[in-house]
Amino acid sequence: MNPLPRREFLKGAGALVIGFNLTAARSDRAAAMEIGPYGPPEDQIDSWIEIGEDGHATLFSGCSELGTGSSTGLLQVMAEELDLPFERARLVLPDTNRTPDQFVSSGSRAISAHSRPIRQAAAEARAALVELAAQKLNVPADQLVTAGGAVSVRGTPTKSVTYAELIGGKQFNLRITGKAKPKAPAEYRLVGKSLPRWDIPAKVFGTFTYMQDVKVGGMLHGRVVRPPAQGASVISIDEASVAHIPGLVKIVRVNDLVGVVCRREEQAIAAAQALKVNWSSWTGLPDMKDLHATIRNLPEFPSGYPKNVPGGVLAESGDIDAGLAKAVKTLKATYLSPYHHHGSIGPSCAVADVRGDGVTVWSGTQTPYGTREAVAKFLGLPNQSVRLIYAEASGCYGQNGADDVIIDAVVLSRAVGRPVRVQWSRADENGWEAFKAARISECQGGLDANGKIVAWDARTFGLSGYSRPEYHEPKHGGEPGSLVTAQLAGWTKPGLEEGFAGASNNFEPVYEDVPNKRVVFTYLGPASHRQGPLRLRVGSMRGVGSPDNIFVAECFMDELAAAAGQDAIEFRLKHQPRARGVAVLKAAAEKAKWQSRPSPAPTTTGDIAYGRGVAMLGIDSDTNVAGIFEVAVNKKTGEVKVRRVTIAHDCGLIVNPGAVRNQIEGGVIQSTSRALKEEVTFDRSRVTSLDWASYPVITFNEIPDEIDIVLIDRPDLPPMRVGEPASESVWPGIANAIHDAVGVRLRQLPFTPQRVLAALTGAA
Amino acid sequence: MATKTLRVNGKTVTANVDDLATPLLYVLRNDAGLHGPRFGCGLGQCGACTVHVNGEAVRSCVRPLSSIAASDEIVTLEGLGTQEKPHKLQTAFVEEQAVQCGYCINGMIMQAAALLTKNPKPSIPEIKNALQNNLCRCGTHLRIIRAVKRASEA
Repeated sequence: MNPLPRREFLKGAGALVIGFNLTAARSDRAAAMEIGPYGPPEDQIDSWIEIGEDGHATLFSGCSELGTGSSTGLLQVMAEELDLPFERARLVLPDTNRTPDQFVSSGSRAISAHSRPIRQAAAEARAALVELAAQKLNVPADQLVTAGGAVSVRGTPTKSVTYAELIGGKQFNLRITGKAKPKAPAEYRLVGKSLPRWDIPAKVFGTFTYMQDVKVGGMLHGRVVRPPAQGASVISIDEASVAHIPGLVKIVRVNDLVGVVCRREEQAIAAAQALKVNWSSWTGLPDMKDLHATIRNLPEFPSGYPKNVPGGVLAESGDIDAGLAKAVKTLKATYLSPYHHHGSIGPSCAVADVRGDGVTVWSGTQTPYGTREAVAKFLGLPNQSVRLIYAEASGCYGQNGADDVIIDAVVLSRAVGRPVRVQWSRADENGWEAFKAARISECQGGLDANGKIVAWDARTFGLSGYSRPEYHEPKHGGEPGSLVTAQLAGWTKPGLEEGFAGASNNFEPVYEDVPNKRVVFTYLGPASHRQGPLRLRVGSMRGVGSPDNIFVAECFMDELAAAAGQDAIEFRLKHQPRARGVAVLKAAAEKAKWQSRPSPAPTTTGDIAYGRGVAMLGIDSDTNVAGIFEVAVNKKTGEVKVRRVTIAHDCGLIVNPGAVRNQIEGGVIQSTSRALKEEVTFDRSRVTSLDWASYPVITFNEIPDEIDIVLIDRPDLPPMRVGEPASESVWPGIANAIHDAVGVRLRQLPFTPQRVLAALTGAA
Repeated sequence: MATKTLRVNGKTVTANVDDLATPLLYVLRNDAGLHGPRFGCGLGQCGACTVHVNGEAVRSCVRPLSSIAASDEIVTLEGLGTQEKPHKLQTAFVEEQAVQCGYCINGMIMQAAALLTKNPKPSIPEIKNALQNNLCRCGTHLRIIRAVKRASEA
């Protein structure tokens, strides 16, 4: 199959009924560009920015907007460098026919990483506009200034020319040289302001088009029928079981991927429920109560260690045994965490239109180009025969089912020759998304007579953190093997083997003065395949391995502080965090009015015990966070209520403080939910936490009463990650606060009333 | 096959469905072309699909068409207010930037609007109780509470 010329192909997709408030119409200029297998060339200004005849500037962003507001920040950065009023900034979200490949929109890096090429492209565009104005006004470039979307002569504002007059509707045709210097932070007038998000009005008036709202002319509705067990296979399908459903177009089976296509959505739901499939029996999951022992006993997967981390040794210094030998006090602790659901409120959805002359896919993916290539490989087509158009879906918080559902839609559309929308059910999402991996970690450490740490030995046992269908940046492209739906459809080539990737992040303690240290990530194998070591596919979720790792590192730090009889913050400061870490720790302590004393708090009478806990994270190259958590523990019921949270947050230069606060609040509340309530459940065959009753998440009456935020702006530093970092302080912070309140350590997530009561009983 | 006529946002909507057990949500989304009410669970557990039927907040994903009379007034997020004539809750949600991904926000606003009709000056605990069965996964709860409070004081 030959891909159509781009213009023709676009016409074929013309039935799309979709529109974003700020989305500019596709211009002929963009259509005239060279679009390669990974989109427009990254080194051309025109690939990123287009100035229209009306004086608007359109950003062609390769970064998916996942509901965090980051695209507003990207527009701020572009408008800032262009010296353009923010109201004249428009946005095109990822589209493999129109936007550059910005790889994966993940890791809270939309601003920290993905704004960089945008900033540079805009700076180069502004420099080019000044050159054009110099010719037009016949004034040397160094006497020109830019403001409000126009170039004028310094000191003579009446002598000016607008960007629209200079280049509106035309191409720059210029390479990005790296020579144009972006503005210094002191010159910023938009960056650093809490500009309101562009998308919020449409979302509160019901005019926003989510992925789940995308409609294409002639579209049919599909639903899938998943196996009742992770490893079950189709033996037979009783087609007569759905013969009574009006509107049934087709029953589709490709290997173990089974689906139905109907004219109406409710018909597809009814058909998927009614379809009788005879599946083989399968009981290969571990007993849930043995999960962590099973993980601990898995053999190491030695070949998966990255070259720069042989043996999974993340840090090693001094001599552990010598350190332990001279300790006056030693501690050992084992920490456990469960699988989590991403828990997107809207289950995953995709629309696919597979035609003889090309394929169009609408998706809420985080990896537009990697997933496009995965789909192309799955269909045996060249990349450019598949166009992927991004539409924002329900918040994903990592790799939910957004990529997997595309294969469902493609398979069903191919079978019926019409565009098909596949909406996963709640049970499809909970049963078949990529779960946050369960983890077991073991620590031992020692204190000397002065209450200083003399040994720190921490080991965690985990799977890869990466099961996306996309290669790691800077390698373009992708593979379908990580997608559970491709696996069901019989795709046998394994997904990408990335070693332990982000699963090891932030396991090393952030303190400089910890001698005799060994920090190890024991790698148990790839995460991507449902036939992998634990049979449940796992993937990235809000921090990948970081939340588990920081839970272990900061709980163990707290255990050592308590064993030394020292105040938890003073003990941390004594072990020397880096300068920005000291700053956030002190800022949080001041804001929370932290009183220095050892933990646990003095015992009080009455059923409710109050406590506070601290946790911190941060290295020089990343966001630094200190969180203080104040809890009330009901000693009779075991219930934990988080009353007040204080977060001090240094993410370098702040682009949009309001959006940063929104992300911090959200991360804290979601992680509180995960700390107190959440655990994927399963039997020997399948996941059983398939709805909100079996997987409860935090409700309005359970959220923290208050979240106080201290933002430390560092315009001298580049912008750093926002979203994940604050959320990662929550699990250890709450665990440490529970210990402070009632004197027992909760080392297994979630901290349910049953676990708190069991710990209290054990301590009594 | 059955034909159902509904009053939605002051207009008449006619849908041809196989049977009247069909939940209201699918007619609103696919026949009336509305984006406000959203599919979240199909089980009445999350609240993303919430609409008003005669001023009461109901879960449209489990509300069969058979239970709705032709005279019943159905109002969705689109009918509550528009950018030109916003409901005070919509204004407050924008002012408080009380949205992250926004997928749950339809339900939050519709549930809160039903609350404010009955209780124009709710306390914070009353707001929390009213929204207790509406789930938000982004963790926007505190902003949502602030927005409802702000609207109640507007």
